[in-house]
Amino acid sequence: MLPFPELRPTLWDGLVVLGVILLAAVILASAWSREEDGGALAVVVSADGEEIDRFPPGELPDSPRIYENNGYTLRLAASPASGGDGVRVEAADCPTQDCVHTGVISRGGQSIVCLPARIIIRLEGGPPPETAVDAVTG
Amino acid sequence: MKHFAAALLSAAMLLTLAACGGDPDTAQESIQAIAMDTVMVFTAYGQHSTAAAYAAEKLAYETEALLSRTDPESDVSRLNSAPADTPVELDGRTAAALEAALAWSERTDGAFDCTLAQVSSAWGFTEDTFCVPGQEELAGLLEHTGFDQITLNGTAASHAPEAAVDLGGIAKGWLSDEILKIFQKNQVPRGRIELGGNICVIGDRPDGSPWRIGIQDPADPLSADAFVGILHLTDAYTVTSGGYQRYFEEDGKTYHHIIDPATGYPAENGLVSVTVEADAVEGAGAMCDALSTALFVMGEEQALEYWRSSGYEFELVLVTEDGRVLVTEGLADRFTAGEDTGYRYVTVS
Amino acid sequence: MRLTTRQLSLCALLTAMALGLGYLENFFPLSLAVPVPGVKLGLANIVTVFALYALGPGQALLILLSRCFLGSVFAGNLNALFFSLLGGISSMLVMAALSRLRKLSVYGVSVGGAAAHNCGQIAAAVLTLGSAAPVYYLPVLLGVSLFTGALTGLVAACLFRALSKTGLPGLR
Repeated sequence: MLPFPELRPTLWDGLVVLGVILLAAVILASAWSREEDGGALAVVVSADGEEIDRFPPGELPDSPRIYENNGYTLRLAASPASGGDGVRVEAADCPTQDCVHTGVISRGGQSIVCLPARIIIRLEGGPPPETAVDAVTG
Repeated sequence: MKHFAAALLSAAMLLTLAACGGDPDTAQESIQAIAMDTVMVFTAYGQHSTAAAYAAEKLAYETEALLSRTDPESDVSRLNSAPADTPVELDGRTAAALEAALAWSERTDGAFDCTLAQVSSAWGFTEDTFCVPGQEELAGLLEHTGFDQITLNGTAASHAPEAAVDLGGIAKGWLSDEILKIFQKNQVPRGRIELGGNICVIGDRPDGSPWRIGIQDPADPLSADAFVGILHLTDAYTVTSGGYQRYFEEDGKTYHHIIDPATGYPAENGLVSVTVEADAVEGAGAMCDALSTALFVMGEEQALEYWRSSGYEFELVLVTEDGRVLVTEGLADRFTAGEDTGYRYVTVS
Repeated sequence: MRLTTRQLSLCALLTAMALGLGYLENFFPLSLAVPVPGVKLGLANIVTVFALYALGPGQALLILLSRCFLGSVFAGNLNALFFSLLGGISSMLVMAALSRLRKLSVYGVSVGGAAAHNCGQIAAAVLTLGSAAPVYYLPVLLGVSLFTGALTGLVAACLFRALSKTGLPGLR
């Protein structure tokens, strides 16, 4: 059993408070600096609105990925031309083939959509688009 | 000693308050959904961003269920399959969308027409069963089109014999208006509502600059990088209609989905895409959606005439078949031309 | 651990009080003032602080574990168990360490405990969500823990002050 503690705040308590504030400040600062580079680029795959996969684009060359939904199959592969950071739908058995024709996406915010399969492949994160657009009309 | 601790605690209190004050604006939620045959992205910032984005997604699915032409249970299908001249009680939202559609049909002299349901079905655009219908068939169908074939009384609607409603040309615009209301109710300081090519931007980008909206290059419709130009917008709607968005080929000829209500054939009036931009005020989403179709049907001359006579409540970017890009005066300083597009850019007044 | 009947019943009583305080704190929805998930007063921490000094770390831990298990059973939410366990144990460890520093008052100990509690909960969130996103809440939670920690410290100080007059038979 411990002896009863000091019951009035002491100068040393201030040190604990300072420590907590310091910890908060460090986390805040690191969060800000991370926000600036937008974090690492990630490929996010969703089917019927549910996220089914998320991985860094660099993983693709070793393991091309296959997704099935709504009766159709898509094969996602790294794009050799863009040095591994780009991805594209290499093959799909959907009738429109729009997802294959969309080609390579390589920047955060870009996406490939297969309406028949109801699959969306989107790149998230990466450096903020300076010259790129936020949305596309048409 | 006591004072020192008290001072330290007050300092900590201030620090916390400052942290709380700065925090909500950076919270962000982005949801993607596939509804109404298109990809929707709802991006909301602010303290209530998550609630706003999910409410938007929910409304999108509900609207799809109400306005779909392929779902036999939808309000639109119920109205169309009801006997002629028999009022059908509609959901308040369906009635509101129909009211907007009828109003814009009238205001565009029928260039936007929400009664082309049978005609676009004949072309197979409703069900993806493309075929070129015969001239007599189209002429027969056209006798039962026009906004006067539909009567809307409160939330009850009826149709004249053989007439049917298709809200496809305004549904997304109407929905974007409603989602904007949801965002406003949730005090979303900035965000985007993307319903396929129907875009609504709220506020500005987190870095304080306007949102950058690319206008898809009709010559390269699937590329994620090919733009006619970029619009720099804050608190605005923009919608693009173009024949390149949906078409089929038969015997070497291309047939696209924007039907000219006067002929029953795909509109061929010299335009390949029409972008309409307007301030994000109530009803502007439906206006931009309806007008992008109507002005595409009208063609260059008539479209610009309509713009001049409208009191400039909207602005345009027209892409013509002969490779010109016409930007109306009020939009010129918020438009940057794409590089190496091969288009000739003209500002019109 | 061998407990006398008196110690056992005191532990049971304190566990019940901690559960009661945990319920009571629902009536002070701090999250309305600071809209961040996980923000709360942490009144049950008063019991932990008290037990730590009055009964020692072993029994304090026993009370904490009982409180976490029973609390999630009563709430019918076993998901919350992981959160409260990780939060509670981190808080416990930090307070046990701080309480050995004789220069710190009960205020410093309980502020440290409240901050550690938040760190533990965020760690639980990071582990269950598999995403680092909850870490962004931590600075705000830490700021709030300065007040909630000071508050529990104040209550504990009052408690000890009262007990130093009446005494708690069998403890000292």
